Amino acid sequence: MISLDSSKPIYVQIAEWLETEILRDRLKKDEKVYSQYQLAEMFTINPATAAKGLTILVNEEILYKKRGLGMFVTKEAKKIIQNKRKTNLLEEKVIDLVNEANYLEINEQSLIDMIKKANEEIRKESK
Amino acid sequence: MQIVKADGLEKKFGSKKVIEQMSFEIKEETITGIIGRNGAGKTTLLKMIAGFWRPSAGELLVFNEEPFDSLMASANTIYIDDQLYYPDTLNLKQILQQNAQFYPNWNMDLADRLFNYFGFEANQRHYQLSKGKRSTFNMIIGLAARCPLTLFDEPTTGMDEAVRKDFYQALLHDYIAFPRTILLSSHLLQEIEPLLEEVLLIKDGKVLMHESVDTLKDYAFGLHGDRDTITSWCANKSIIYQKAYSSEGIYVVVQNDFTEREFAQLQADGIKLLPVSLNDLCIYLTNPKNGGIVDVLS
Repeated sequence: MISLDSSKPIYVQIAEWLETEILRDRLKKDEKVYSQYQLAEMFTINPATAAKGLTILVNEEILYKKRGLGMFVTKEAKKIIQNKRKTNLLEEKVIDLVNEANYLEINEQSLIDMIKKANEEIRKESK
Repeated sequence: MQIVKADGLEKKFGSKKVIEQMSFEIKEETITGIIGRNGAGKTTLLKMIAGFWRPSAGELLVFNEEPFDSLMASANTIYIDDQLYYPDTLNLKQILQQNAQFYPNWNMDLADRLFNYFGFEANQRHYQLSKGKRSTFNMIIGLAARCPLTLFDEPTTGMDEAVRKDFYQALLHDYIAFPRTILLSSHLLQEIEPLLEEVLLIKDGKVLMHESVDTLKDYAFGLHGDRDTITSWCANKSIIYQKAYSSEGIYVVVQNDFTEREFAQLQADGIKLLPVSLNDLCIYLTNPKNGGIVDVLS
């Protein structure tokens, strides 16, 4: 879950873990999320690192602060996370795909044809 | 507020400079890792901060006072290493009681709970403990003292992995319950990394870097692939480490000042980008200039 070998800093991993909790409805809108100290104890990490993870989510309007009460899940949180993951993950995969095609000296048109063919097959299977 | 301030700090033993031109500040209520190779000067630095040793030159302030010979500094600072000595006439329980009298914030409840958890017995003697057990007992003292400045010098020496994990958990838990400034030196950077807010990296008695853990995590990355391609990419870059693994292939760690466009271009050139762990980065940065062990052996 939280891995030190990962290229991602721990605070990013904390943010992503909270996002997944929201996507799985384990944290619902307007529900209070873990404090930096709770997260620090849960994962044995420095509380300042946990706070950074929470701050990312506040900046992205996935969480909001209530003064003196803690942080809560915004109404749009789930939608924001879904959109973000779609763009980020998909773009990355497309870049990998294009790089691989270049190594194999497959031109752009053939690659597009392959994508079309794959799409047709998936459609056929789902019928 | 700054708890420790060093400015041009120096320590000589005879003619040998062990600490040289050291300047840094440690913020209140942070956990900082003191990282460096054997003989880099970690213990010397910590012993000066603890007030055991007097600097040869430069300024060192702890709680805005020179720590050497200062009662204020010694009441508010605890230094824990594996050389702690206690009189043979005292048993372990009596040692805890003695410490309780000296340190104003001492928490006997915490000490007792850890004492029992780790299976110590009241009438055991400190000198009869195994290496790992002694470290564990010393760690209990370091935590229960709840000193505003807590210095742990290689606190996990001899501890097995399970005990080390317990220690990290206990340290973090009590730091949250009772925030204080903690300096922690350890060779097991990989293990302590998640506990740290900052890293003070020392080489040959000098501060090489003083950064937050997150900054260091982004500081460098590895390039893996064709030697000529990578060499031309790195012409104007700051190379931290390199290793050839075949006549055409090379692995190079460079400082991360690449733009998004350069990253994309690198990948398009068939170069693999790899993360560099904090542990590896610190090893590369503190490598001696005259090559590695392979150069000695070959």
